[in-house]
Amino acid sequence: MAKFLLLAFRNIFRNRRRTLMTLMMVGGGVAGLLLSGGYFAFMTHGLREDTINSGLGHLQIFTADHFQRDETRVLDTGIDNWRQVAASVNAGSHVRGIAPRIDFYGMVSNGTKAAGFKGSAVDPEAEKSLGFITRIESGRDLDPKPSGEVEALIGKGLAKSMNVGVGDGLTVLAMTSDGALNGVDVEIVGIINSGAPERDARYLRITLPAAQRLLQSDRVTNLVVGLDSTENTDQAYTEMMPRLNMLSQRMELKKWIDLATYYKQVNSMFNGIFLFMGIIVFFMVLMSSVNTLLMSMFERTREIGTMLAMGTPRSWIIALFVVEATLLGVMGAVIGLIAGNLLGALLNVSGLHMPPPPGYSVPMPFKVLRVPFQMIVSSLLVIVSMALASIFPAVRASRLRIAEALSHV
Amino acid sequence: MEEIVNVEAVSRRFPLDDRPASHPAHSFVSALSHTSLRIAAGEFLAIAGPSGSGKTTLLNLIGCIDQPTSGRILVDGVDTSKLKPAEMSKLRREKIGFVFQTFNLIPVFTAAENVEYPLLVQGVGSRERRQRVDEALGSVGLSARANQRPDLLSGGERQRVAVARAIVHRPALVLADEPTANLDTHNATQLIDLMHGLNQRLGLTFIFSTHDARLLEHTERIVRLTDGEVISDTTAQGGSRG
Repeated sequence: MAKFLLLAFRNIFRNRRRTLMTLMMVGGGVAGLLLSGGYFAFMTHGLREDTINSGLGHLQIFTADHFQRDETRVLDTGIDNWRQVAASVNAGSHVRGIAPRIDFYGMVSNGTKAAGFKGSAVDPEAEKSLGFITRIESGRDLDPKPSGEVEALIGKGLAKSMNVGVGDGLTVLAMTSDGALNGVDVEIVGIINSGAPERDARYLRITLPAAQRLLQSDRVTNLVVGLDSTENTDQAYTEMMPRLNMLSQRMELKKWIDLATYYKQVNSMFNGIFLFMGIIVFFMVLMSSVNTLLMSMFERTREIGTMLAMGTPRSWIIALFVVEATLLGVMGAVIGLIAGNLLGALLNVSGLHMPPPPGYSVPMPFKVLRVPFQMIVSSLLVIVSMALASIFPAVRASRLRIAEALSHV
Repeated sequence: MEEIVNVEAVSRRFPLDDRPASHPAHSFVSALSHTSLRIAAGEFLAIAGPSGSGKTTLLNLIGCIDQPTSGRILVDGVDTSKLKPAEMSKLRREKIGFVFQTFNLIPVFTAAENVEYPLLVQGVGSRERRQRVDEALGSVGLSARANQRPDLLSGGERQRVAVARAIVHRPALVLADEPTANLDTHNATQLIDLMHGLNQRLGLTFIFSTHDARLLEHTERIVRLTDGEVISDTTAQGGSRG
């Protein structure tokens, strides 16, 4: 067997130029997949952390009735004793902190014009302690304990449509738990540019006590849990569920992935593109390798005839070609892995930027992540492709008529 | 003496078109017609004749790398016409050694590895392989060149490696198709002497084809072919067997 493998290995280098071209093609395919896959991984990883750090958190606690709520009276299905709930889960491992929220809807008016908004009431200190980023384009963040008027941050699009800026006032109107319309005057202290224009066109943020006064309830709609690492989400979820089940109010715990609709769309789009590229590389390697291996077979016709004349089983001839192609695939994959990682490292230090992804207004840095799974899949893809490409030439070689093969010139 | 090859009324026709043989317009060329030949074990036999006389065809048929159109061939008592392809392959592997006109060594293998190949195919263990390769290379006087690749060997050396490869697995029969065609006279004579010596020393049956009359001087039996027919079968003593 060792001699047979040696024969296959040495055969690879009989025509060095052709072997080099094949290795470049196979290696190029692997490197291309690694670079594109690494870039997609960087994008999705960045988007994941960005999504979590922009306020989604790793886990969110809702009441079981929250998802059947009436959007005009969101606190009807809110969490009653949210401090108790927060305390019961805060002790869990990997929990970095908990931020209470009220997601509510209403209208803003500047006296001459009104617009609908999707508001979020937060505890600024809790948000900060969890590292949630508020992208304030102008002005400042909310003061946790304002001395004067109720402070508000509004989205860039909403500010534009309402024709207001930092320092201006607005009246915020929303439905209380009793069904009455309540209003509060706010002072705009900052304009938010989250990078998602659709969101910014309707966004308003005030402090939690202000929202509770407006909605006349001390409930919250949800508790956002921040963990020490995204990778611990599943473990924290498993640990947290029994604690929540012990509470009198029925709760529902959601992982970030369940709430990150946009992330899931982008991720599945990148996975689709990667799969498509993989298929292209697979067929590219397959078709060009069939041609190369057929040429190799024709060149060795007399030698194959000699081997068959000496009683070599035809299955050995097939195996010889398949092993040769597989070895070429392995070598090409190794070259591709080295080239892909080197090019990726170069791109990472180049400082290149790509245009903003769909729905974003901020350019993305061009970086390539090293993803072991992609390395394995890309390598296996070209190795299998090479092995498959060898089957047709191998079977043809094994079926040669010995007498004709021996007289082949 | 024990019979190693029995060729019984063998014909070999090659089609010149794709029509079936039963088609009235089917055309073919006849390479061998109703040829019969008996070869005893241990003989040193030359098949002589001009180009196109059917020498290679006859050797291919005896070597089980081609099938006769009619007639049958027995090798070591086995009727080769009744063998399946895998059985033919086994017969060649175990009982026949080949020497080709163009040496046909595997270029990426060393001389020793080329000689080792038939043993590898037979599944002989590595220790025994090494020992038998050393013996075979020693018997053709190439022990010192064992680790050279074919491209670094002269034509005569390459053909001696091919002879070593043909005898290493101790076959019942060695077939050599024009083994001296690519050699100068000196190397050609040396090769025939080498094969003759191995025939005498090891008792191996050698059948070789040639169209060079000078190489027939030391040959005990000469079968002459012309246009696919045996025209004479003579021994060194001047006797006729036909």
